[in-house]
Amino acid sequence: MSEKLIKAIAEMDDEQAITLTKELLSQGSDPMEILGDCRSAMEIVGKRFEEGEYFISELILAGETLTAISGLVKPLLKTSQAEKKGGKVIIGTVKGDIHDIAKDIVTFMLDVNGFEVKDLGVDVAPEIFVETIKTDQPEIVALSGFLTLAHTSMKETVDAIKTAGLREKVKIMIGGGTIDAQVCNFAKADGWGTDAMTAVSLAKQWTGAN
Amino acid sequence: MSQTFIDPDAGKSTEQLFAERSKRIMDAFQMKQPDRIPIMLGLGYLLADMGGVTRQELYENPAKSLEIQKKIALDFQPDTLFGLFSYPGASIALGDQMTKWPGHGLGPNGSFQFAEQEFMKPEDYDAFLDDTADWAIRTYLPRAFSTLKGFSALPPFQMLAFGHYYLTNLPAFAAPPIVEGLKAISKGIQATLEVNAGVMETIKAMAEIGFPFPAILTGALVEAPFDFMSDTLRGMRGIMVDIHRRPEKLLAAQEKVLRFELEFAVNLSKATGSPYAFLPLHRGSDGFMSLPQFEKFYWPQLKSLMVQLVDNGITPWCFYEGVWDQRLEYLAELPKGKTGGLFQSSDIFKVGEVLGDTMFIMGGMPNSLLQGGTVEQVRERTKQVCEKLGKGGGFVMTTGVLELEGSDPKLIKAWVDATKEFGVY
Repeated sequence: MSEKLIKAIAEMDDEQAITLTKELLSQGSDPMEILGDCRSAMEIVGKRFEEGEYFISELILAGETLTAISGLVKPLLKTSQAEKKGGKVIIGTVKGDIHDIAKDIVTFMLDVNGFEVKDLGVDVAPEIFVETIKTDQPEIVALSGFLTLAHTSMKETVDAIKTAGLREKVKIMIGGGTIDAQVCNFAKADGWGTDAMTAVSLAKQWTGAN
Repeated sequence: MSQTFIDPDAGKSTEQLFAERSKRIMDAFQMKQPDRIPIMLGLGYLLADMGGVTRQELYENPAKSLEIQKKIALDFQPDTLFGLFSYPGASIALGDQMTKWPGHGLGPNGSFQFAEQEFMKPEDYDAFLDDTADWAIRTYLPRAFSTLKGFSALPPFQMLAFGHYYLTNLPAFAAPPIVEGLKAISKGIQATLEVNAGVMETIKAMAEIGFPFPAILTGALVEAPFDFMSDTLRGMRGIMVDIHRRPEKLLAAQEKVLRFELEFAVNLSKATGSPYAFLPLHRGSDGFMSLPQFEKFYWPQLKSLMVQLVDNGITPWCFYEGVWDQRLEYLAELPKGKTGGLFQSSDIFKVGEVLGDTMFIMGGMPNSLLQGGTVEQVRERTKQVCEKLGKGGGFVMTTGVLELEGSDPKLIKAWVDATKEFGVY
C-alpha cells in the first residue's frame, strides 16, 4: 500500500498521482495493490463528498485520475478485480432524457460503497431495464432523470417492470433534481432522492449492507 | 374544491382584462403591490399534450400552436402566458451539435435537450484569451456546427479584415465547404427571422383576446460568465477540472466573457427598448460547487454582470435552477428592487423571507404537484404560497420551471382559480 498515492488522489493532486503510479510500476509493485490504493482513495473522496467538503469538481477530477491510473495499470493485470459485496444495482437515465451527471455521481457513490453497479447509460427504454433485470438479476433498479418528462418515463418503466412480472424481485429508486415524494408516488417507486447519499442509504437499507 | 368559485374576471371586456392584467404583471415586476397576485403560465409542451399534436408539429406548424395556445388561455384565464421558449430552426439549419429537438435527434414527442460537449479543449484557453473572435471562427464553429467544418481552413481573420491589401484573400471563401457553411448561416438567419415574426404575430393575437405577453421575456439572454464557459464551451466535466487545474485561465476567460455579454445586452436593450435581460443559471446552485468555489468562480462574476446591467437601466432576472437554499444570502447582496428570480426547487418560503425585499420572485408551484397531485393539495399549496409570498407585492405565481408538460389540465385550472381566490391583496 502506498499512503502517498492514496493521499495524492484524495487531495486532488492528479499529476503527482500519475507520477507515483509510474514509479510504483517501474519498481515492480503489484498492479492489484495500486488499484486497491485507488479504491481506498476513492473511499476518502466519497466520504468527503458525503460530508460536504468535496463537490462535483472533486468527484470529476478524482474520476479522471482514476481513469488515467487504470489505463497504466490494467494492461498489467492477470486477474479481474475483486468481487463486490454490497449487492447488485442497475442504473440508467430514463427514456427521453439524456442527462448523465446525477446518474454518474450516484454510480460513483454506490461503487465506492461496495455495490456492483451496471450503468445502462442515458435515454434507456423501459424494455432495456426489463431485459437487464432478467439477465443480471439485480436487487435494485435506480432510475435517474432531470426533465419533467422523465417523471412520466419513470412511471412507464415501473409499469413495464410490473407487467413483466418482475416488480416483486427488485426495489426501485428514482432520483434527480426535480424528484420529490409526489413523483415517487406518481411513478410507484419504492424510494426517491435528490442526492447521491440518499441513493446509497436506500441501497444499504434495502440490501442490509453496511 | 370550492364549487362556488366565481372568476373575478368573468364578464369583463377583452380590453379591460388586457389592461388589468398588464398592470397587475408590471406592478409585480416593479415590486409594487398589484390588486392581486398575477399568475403566469409557461405552457411549453402542454401545447402538444392538450392540442393532440406531436411536439415536432408544434415547432413546424406555428398556426396550429397559436390556435392551441388561444384555447388554453381562454380555458384557464391566467394573467399572462407564453408557448414555447425556444425553437429549433437555426440549430437544424446549422447542424448545431449541442442540442437535440423533437424529430431531430429525438422522437417526434421528445423534449428539447442540451447535450453538452467539450468544444473548447483545455489547450484552447490561450487562443481564446488571446483572440476570442478568431478562435471562435476558425476553431469553435467547425467543432460546434456540422455545416461550418470548412471554416477551419480560413486564414486568420485579421488577414481578411484589414483593408485593401487583403482583399486578394477573399477567394478563401470560395472553397465549397465554406460556401456551404455560409449558405447554412443564411438559412439559420432566415429561420430565426421567421421565428421572430411568428412570435410577434402570436403576441398580437394573444393581446387581441386579452392576454399580455410577459414583458420580461423580451430582453437579451446572457449567462453567468461561469455558465457561459461551461454550457457551450468547456462542458461541465471540462470546467470542473479547470477549477483545479487552470483556475487563473478560467477566471481570465470569464472576465472576457463578462465584457462582451455586457456590451451585447446593453446594446440590445438600447436597440429594442426592452429593459430586461434573462439569465438562466446552471452550475451555481447548491451541489455543483463548494461555497469557497462559488465565491471565487461564480458569484463575483455573476454579481458584477448583474450590477452593471442594473447600472445601465436593465432589470436582469435569473432562473435559479435547482436548489439555491445555501446561497440565498449572497443573492441578498444584489441591488434592492432591481432584479428578479424564478426559483425552481429552492424552499420558496425561505426565498420569500430572505429575498422578498431584494427582488421580484417567481415560482411557488412544483411541477410535480400539477402532474400527480389532487385538487385539494394544489389549492392548499396555492393558499400557503399566496399567504406567505404575496405580502407587499413583487411576487408572480408560476411553476418552478416555465414548462407545463405532463400536467393535469384539471389541476392547472384549480391552481389558476385558487391564485385568484387566495391571491387578493
